[in-house]
Amino acid sequence: MNPLRIAIIGCGKIADQHVLAIRRIPNCEIAAVCDREELMAAQLAERFKIPGVFSDGQKMLENVSPDVVHIVTPPQGHFALAKQCLESGSHVYLEKPFTVTAPEAEELIRVAEKCGRIITAGHNYQFTLEMLRMRKLVAAGYLGGKAVHLESHWAYHLSDASYVGPLLGNRNHWVRQLPGKLFHNLISHGIARLAEFLDDDLVEITASAHQSAQLTRMGGQEVLDELRVTIRDRSGTTGYFCFSTQIKPAMNGLRVCGLKNSLIADASSGSLIRFESKASKSYLTYFLPPLRLARQYFRNGWINVTDFMRGRLHQDAGMKELIEQFYHSIQSHGAPPIPYREILLTARIMDEIFAQVYSAQDGVRTALPENLVNGLSVDGRRSYTQSPA
Amino acid sequence: MNPGFICGPEDRILITGSNGFIGVKVVEMLLEYGFFNLRCFVRPSSKLESLKKVLEKYPACQLTEIVSGDLLSREDCRRAAQDVSVIVHLAAGFDKTFAGAFMNSALTTRNLTEAFLEIGRPKRFVNVSSFAVYSNLKMQRGALLDENSPLEDCPQERYQAYGFGKLKQEEIVMKYGQSHGLPYVILRPGAVFGPGKPELSGRIGIDTFGFFIHLGGSNELPLTYVDNCAEAIALAALKPGINGEAFNIVDDEKMTSREFLAACKSVKKFFTISVPYVFADLGCRLWESYSKRSQGQLPPIFNRRRCAAEWKGNRYSNEKLHVRLGWKPKVKMADAMKMFLAQYR
Repeated sequence: MNPLRIAIIGCGKIADQHVLAIRRIPNCEIAAVCDREELMAAQLAERFKIPGVFSDGQKMLENVSPDVVHIVTPPQGHFALAKQCLESGSHVYLEKPFTVTAPEAEELIRVAEKCGRIITAGHNYQFTLEMLRMRKLVAAGYLGGKAVHLESHWAYHLSDASYVGPLLGNRNHWVRQLPGKLFHNLISHGIARLAEFLDDDLVEITASAHQSAQLTRMGGQEVLDELRVTIRDRSGTTGYFCFSTQIKPAMNGLRVCGLKNSLIADASSGSLIRFESKASKSYLTYFLPPLRLARQYFRNGWINVTDFMRGRLHQDAGMKELIEQFYHSIQSHGAPPIPYREILLTARIMDEIFAQVYSAQDGVRTALPENLVNGLSVDGRRSYTQSPA
Repeated sequence: MNPGFICGPEDRILITGSNGFIGVKVVEMLLEYGFFNLRCFVRPSSKLESLKKVLEKYPACQLTEIVSGDLLSREDCRRAAQDVSVIVHLAAGFDKTFAGAFMNSALTTRNLTEAFLEIGRPKRFVNVSSFAVYSNLKMQRGALLDENSPLEDCPQERYQAYGFGKLKQEEIVMKYGQSHGLPYVILRPGAVFGPGKPELSGRIGIDTFGFFIHLGGSNELPLTYVDNCAEAIALAALKPGINGEAFNIVDDEKMTSREFLAACKSVKKFFTISVPYVFADLGCRLWESYSKRSQGQLPPIFNRRRCAAEWKGNRYSNEKLHVRLGWKPKVKMADAMKMFLAQYR
């Protein structure tokens, strides 16, 4: 099999992670990098010895004809660039957030299907090692049916001055130009985790947001950084999402509650904790479950040590896994690693959240849009199969 | 005002990063020299208290202005460089990523030099770089490191984004010097210290693992007190006949890593472990080797290039600074240390 020829559009901070992850995947090569600012493309190519350097996407597509293009530009450019790549015959890995709006996401997926190409979203935190273990358990029926309730936490500390400084210092910063501003750039991973377990028909989304005192002190202006969301689908599965810049230690994970058992996939510690409905008599309720939990945490620690010894515990393990599954689906003509249904549901939930929190800030209240209540046009539920080796 | 300077009080001088640790002192030094037509460039989100405090000390500096903007914006660079004769480019990117460091050091410098050449009145572009651009990998321990020493030729392996950004920044300045006649001077300060910057130089050691590991042994440190460094920068902006030159900035009086650490520990108690260079070097080589074998499961933050640059130990010369700029450190090391240590009390 010929190696996949990969190209990267956008040579900013996240591009390095893509290059490092791709280089660990067999049977593929990075043929070219492209950035509107040629110096940025040149510095990436120089450091990783990549032969092609371009500042024009169309020229790169014509000259290199890559099998796959990773688009890692700010989201405002995602739609046009991805469409261009798909129409020129490349498969597309699109960094999060997938697009700026849900209608753009729908259109892109339509274009991908029309062109017979595959597109995926950079929701790599769904592919971390503990999330893969979680998915196996769920596929084996551990929950005892459809999830009853979900809780997703995502945290981001404002201590990274290289991100927050320019963002707050420049009203025209690309993050502040997004409809959901800071949330828009940061919450995709947390929402995508919920979308995996929710039905398409959502009957309730309630979002509230505010600015933390910390951000106010930093001169946060119109930017909000604390978000809470509740969601319910037509079948009754409820979801709660919390994004915070304040909570310490940072909470980053997913709790899935089922009819029989429940799970926590804790991304902060790379742990998967099972909660089984085993009743204990009398005071044993207070003695045994904590010991069982302790055993589980010990076991998770041991799993992580062995994963490290085997060289599987890279900090970007989720990204490498997602990219590998994506490439595998291209080569085997299989289903995309993230069902389009989930990508669209994530985009629609995000649209609704931003409409609520930023229109509420402006004193306007919006109703739940019709397309959210009436469900989605694209089918494709996750099949809970094991990932390719 | 010294009549031997390349510009007079009517000439406008732009200082980028003017509210930073060194920038404020450079502004003060230029005001002290009688240059009141300054343009202090700052990021919009910057804290300006210390800069404003300095400006308040010089009531005659009505012509001095504070301009905020982003050097990644060409438009902001044009606003900054308009009618400017001298630029002291201090703004630095401390981004941890290579792309971020490149953007904030090299791209910003490209934008600024182009604006300067286009709508400025270019007499001097002072590019403030760093000792981080040097590589002593092939030098003996204790060898003299000066302006002719080799520059890092493999920054990706050294895995220090800041040094990479500074190297690329220098390359851009030199390129515009050759292709467009940019009258530039490159300055490479050593370990700048002073009140307002309590962190210890990485050349002394690291606290990566939750306690301080002293790795500098009895190495000489390339120390320069912030006021002395600022004066060297101001002189480099004004002295004639130095275009195209590079200068290292270190003070006359030397201190070893061990002496500096002991002075700090005399006023602030903290736990330290000393690791001899031979073990540090071995540890860094093992770390680097494992990082390669595991395809980056552990990022190569410790490697033989970094180990050599920070802990191998060199001697440092400031002879060129003395001879060509006529610079002399005003603040003696004993006084400098007193002021530095006072911030811990």
